[in-house]
Amino acid sequence: MEDFEFLRNVTIGQYFRGDSVVHRMDPRAKITVLIILAIVNSLTQSVSGNALMLALCIAFVFLSGISIRFMLSGIRPALPIILLFAMMQLFFYGDAYPPYGVVPETYWQWGMMSVTNGSIQLVVVTLMRFLQIYLLVSLLTGTSTTTQLAYAIESMLEPFQRFRIPAQEISLVGTIALRFVPIFAEQMEIIMKAQASRGADFGSGGVFHFVRRTRQMATLIVPLFVDAFRRAEDLITAMDARCYTGGRGRTRMVRFRMVARDYAVLGAIVLFGCLMVVFRNDFPI
Amino acid sequence: MSDVGQPVIQVNDLHHVYLRGTPLEVKALNGVTLEVRPGEAVGIIGRSGAGKSTLVQHFNGLIRCRERGRVIVTGHDMADPSVNVRLIRQRVGLVFQHPEQQLFERLVGDDIAFGPKKLGLPPAERRERVRWAMEMVGLDFERFKDRFTFSLSGGERRKVAIAGVLALQPQVLVMDEATTGIDPSGRKEILDRIVGLRKAYGVTLVIVSSNMEEVASLVDRLYVLEDGRTVLSGTPREVFAHPDRLMGYGLGVPAVSAVANDLLKHGVPIPRTPLTVTEAVEDLWRILSSSGT
Repeated sequence: MEDFEFLRNVTIGQYFRGDSVVHRMDPRAKITVLIILAIVNSLTQSVSGNALMLALCIAFVFLSGISIRFMLSGIRPALPIILLFAMMQLFFYGDAYPPYGVVPETYWQWGMMSVTNGSIQLVVVTLMRFLQIYLLVSLLTGTSTTTQLAYAIESMLEPFQRFRIPAQEISLVGTIALRFVPIFAEQMEIIMKAQASRGADFGSGGVFHFVRRTRQMATLIVPLFVDAFRRAEDLITAMDARCYTGGRGRTRMVRFRMVARDYAVLGAIVLFGCLMVVFRNDFPI
Repeated sequence: MSDVGQPVIQVNDLHHVYLRGTPLEVKALNGVTLEVRPGEAVGIIGRSGAGKSTLVQHFNGLIRCRERGRVIVTGHDMADPSVNVRLIRQRVGLVFQHPEQQLFERLVGDDIAFGPKKLGLPPAERRERVRWAMEMVGLDFERFKDRFTFSLSGGERRKVAIAGVLALQPQVLVMDEATTGIDPSGRKEILDRIVGLRKAYGVTLVIVSSNMEEVASLVDRLYVLEDGRTVLSGTPREVFAHPDRLMGYGLGVPAVSAVANDLLKHGVPIPRTPLTVTEAVEDLWRILSSSGT
């Protein structure tokens, strides 16, 4: 039967109260670490290099005290599509990528499809890359409040303000978007329950009954949109009532300060990143 | 008000935990026991967060009992996975808080017909159901059926939403704070119609409310929830005779009951805790006229 507990599946974007080293780190430092590791991630092709990166990400998660099992459970809804992509890479990318570090070998071939050690490597590396980014992003949103994130984005975009980049507005948009994810998940749950109470049956018809499933979705999407517009209007009124006129010249109640530990972590990550990039071709396999 | 026959809803020592096994788990129910007999009107009150909504969502299988406890609805044990939940949902109609948010069709009539259509009824019967449901909530069928859903006023939209649940012709109607946020006259109209429905068709009512006056005048029995437990139960008169305990649960008593309790403390021999102004007037009149002679 249907399970209406949506928040169980939305682990990304969810904040987990805590007082770990990761929680206390300056949000700007966290974002910078994320950016550096994302760049390194996209430049590392080898299995062993990615394994090293993945180990680092898992170590971060352990430091944060958030259960890694719970964090990974958020992938479950996306598993079918991930598997589909993995299959396509495995069978159709056989000749597209020469394997890293070993002599190309073809194990199986049939028409357009082939499995080579290059495509196997590609699948493994892609999955590891995905996991790294997923864990890092979950960790960022899981250990920083929206206020911290907004502050970080705003203060990191500040230097670009002279090029007319509206730093404050961008961070506001980001904050609102993040803030509304759990609200909409909750609203969706309520609407789904209300429709189920009057006879709707979600999840029936199987994966291939597109039309029926789309019709079922209409009973959710329409009320959800109506609600979203209503909330947007409420938000506008609330901002107007507080005399919000845009970001220029606004001051903050809480200001963050980078401490020695933040600089130390940043330095270490930059060093690690540089080494990874410089020696990216020296990894075995 | 017949208390013959099996209870339609029977809840025994029910526990429920939201998001079990995650860092966000919340205990919502800690041992609720209650029963609803056919044809009666039962009220459930408690401060917000006491578990009222979680409890009533067990009544039609939106939440299934996975922890301790049992929920038996019209003779079916809801923990049994083979129970036909859609049948239960048709028998137990649940109206949520702000039900107007669930409307999605362009036309009022189509929206109300959603439930009957899902039941697989033929068009003619669907139409009859819609007409009946609209009458029940006080919307004129001819005048409203082809109006745009989103052009209606808040109160009218709420009536449409309630009609959408009534169109399933449930044996039990559960109203989870379904009248909050509309004006007093609209509120009174909806409640009067629900009472009419009970009188005419013997529909069992479960009313979740935070408005003491409303529950006092409507229900036969009352359950008070606190921290996911049933802490007090009885007729409204019995329950409202404990104003101090109710205060402790973040609730109050109807204003007339409070005045009467005070009078009693000051030595006026009030024979019963009045629930409505009319009752209080009757009692006071009797006391005054007897002391006058």
